[in-house]
Amino acid sequence: MLTLDRNLLHRFGLLFVILLVGLGLTLTTDTFLSVANLTNVARQVSINGILAVGVTFVLLTAGVDLSLGSVVALSGVACATFAHPGDHPVFVPIAVGLLTGAACGLVNGVLVTRGGVAPFIVTLGMMTIARGLALIVSGGRPVANMSNELIPVLCFAGVALAAWFFLRNFRLGRHIYAVGGNENAARAAGVPVERVKLFAYGLCGLLTGLAGVVLAARITTGQPNAGQAYELDAIAAVVIGGTSLAGGVGTITGTLLGVLLIGVINNGLDLLGVSSYYQAVIKGVIIVGAVWLDRRQARS
Amino acid sequence: MRLTPRTTAAAFLAVGALALSATFLSGCKKAEARKEGELLIGFSSRDLSAEYTAKLSEAIVDYAKTKPGVKLVMVDAQSDVQKQFSQVENFIAQKVDAIILNPCELEASTPAVDRIKAAGIPLVLVNQTTKSAGDSYIGSNDFEAGRIAMEAIAKKLNGQGGVLMLHGIMGTSAQLQREAGAREVFAKYPGLKLVDHQTASWDRAKAMALTENWIQAHKGKFSAVFAHNDEMAMGALLALERAQLKKDVYVIGIDAIAQALSAVKEGRLDATVFQDAVGQGKGSVDAAILLAKKQSCPKETMIPFQLITRDNLSQFLK
Repeated sequence: MLTLDRNLLHRFGLLFVILLVGLGLTLTTDTFLSVANLTNVARQVSINGILAVGVTFVLLTAGVDLSLGSVVALSGVACATFAHPGDHPVFVPIAVGLLTGAACGLVNGVLVTRGGVAPFIVTLGMMTIARGLALIVSGGRPVANMSNELIPVLCFAGVALAAWFFLRNFRLGRHIYAVGGNENAARAAGVPVERVKLFAYGLCGLLTGLAGVVLAARITTGQPNAGQAYELDAIAAVVIGGTSLAGGVGTITGTLLGVLLIGVINNGLDLLGVSSYYQAVIKGVIIVGAVWLDRRQARS
Repeated sequence: MRLTPRTTAAAFLAVGALALSATFLSGCKKAEARKEGELLIGFSSRDLSAEYTAKLSEAIVDYAKTKPGVKLVMVDAQSDVQKQFSQVENFIAQKVDAIILNPCELEASTPAVDRIKAAGIPLVLVNQTTKSAGDSYIGSNDFEAGRIAMEAIAKKLNGQGGVLMLHGIMGTSAQLQREAGAREVFAKYPGLKLVDHQTASWDRAKAMALTENWIQAHKGKFSAVFAHNDEMAMGALLALERAQLKKDVYVIGIDAIAQALSAVKEGRLDATVFQDAVGQGKGSVDAAILLAKKQSCPKETMIPFQLITRDNLSQFLK
């Protein structure tokens, strides 16, 4: 009962911050609170949202994935390479993009579980390897083949809903929390720790591949230099949403709120016409401030 | 460390690998040993994943191949100032006869330029200046590009209307100059209003999101978009097309990358400004050869820009 209350408070704390920012923007601009603009926000947060949901799984197992941005680029390029109109049916490029991401994730997972190398190092390596592969596959140039648009918001919503349901209702979902909370205890209780981690990294890779495909479709090209530093926005969103970097604690709803906060800030700063130099500073202050306020509220 | 069989084996392996790589390296050195009289030119490209830079670098490599007695080594700095600095140090250590540098940044790349000058190696800067000058600069005046693009907008709008400007990465010389060129045109036409301006870091996805937000904030108040490069112009174009506003808004970029040209051909993008990659590439190789042979070479060679619209497009499509 106590934990439930705390979770509620926690969630409301962040919701409160988002509402505050939203209220501020509604008062200072006459465009923020319009259907068209909120649709834009939803579309703009979708890619970061898909990545954040994926990396939530990895963070819950007390791991980390720094390769998100590079794998987005690689999957986008791989997808666009097969997307030349008329060459293949539309599902082929999509499948290629998804599988590319999943393969990167599984390699990360195998190296973490079997290789015993720290996730930070494994995924740092994957970050430069995937970026390099994206450049090799594309010859360093954007691959302009994409014509079909996927609907980013629907992809994001579907992914989030499925992830939320999965973590709550499936045994494997609960195992993920157990592994991140206390690995030894989980192992003693018969949880297949290695397989659970492999699943988390593989799923995160698959969703990263999806984000890559959605991005490539949105900008109509596979760009080898796309996705720079996307992992930072995604991990920031997850942590803002209350997931512990030490693993074992966190929810998909929290992640959604974190993604939303970052998206609303980005959108609001553009609407207000804040200069580029100040945007970066303001963004950082709001992100740290939100987490601070949220943690304070959770404690009280 | 205890000497278990395993650590011993590892140590032997490590030593073996070192020895092997040393042999390899010395082998390479022998293979790379220059023939008598052959000129070795080192070229550090800013970023091969940027379409214009890739085009320029290809032109440099291809043109150097046509020059007998010249060997050109290209490396990619991937937009990383630090990486480019080490590449420059490696060139100096190899005692190259000349360096062609396509600097990452105006300020931050200056130390690399100073290092080359201190080593006494002839230096050609291409497409981006630094605070310290090289022996020769081959570029196109970005100020001119910004001016040409804004003049096209002013002409289209008859000097009246709102304009949005998408900046490149803040502080790069291309961004600063292209903005300055555009500002000069604003000063000339008081009816031309800069509604909003913001960086999208040369990036298509960022430009698209920014334009979507601007459409919300400034709908109806702007009738032209000037993007500092074509990547961002394409992003703005996609956002406007989706909002079904393209017909009311004139969009122009700079660089004439392949996708922008085909968009102009399809009547989607209104115009772009052609930056002559092949001209810049040839110019920089020629300058490097002259300097390496201790011959005189102009301090600055400017390759002109040209406005491309549907009317003169055919000259630029290969």
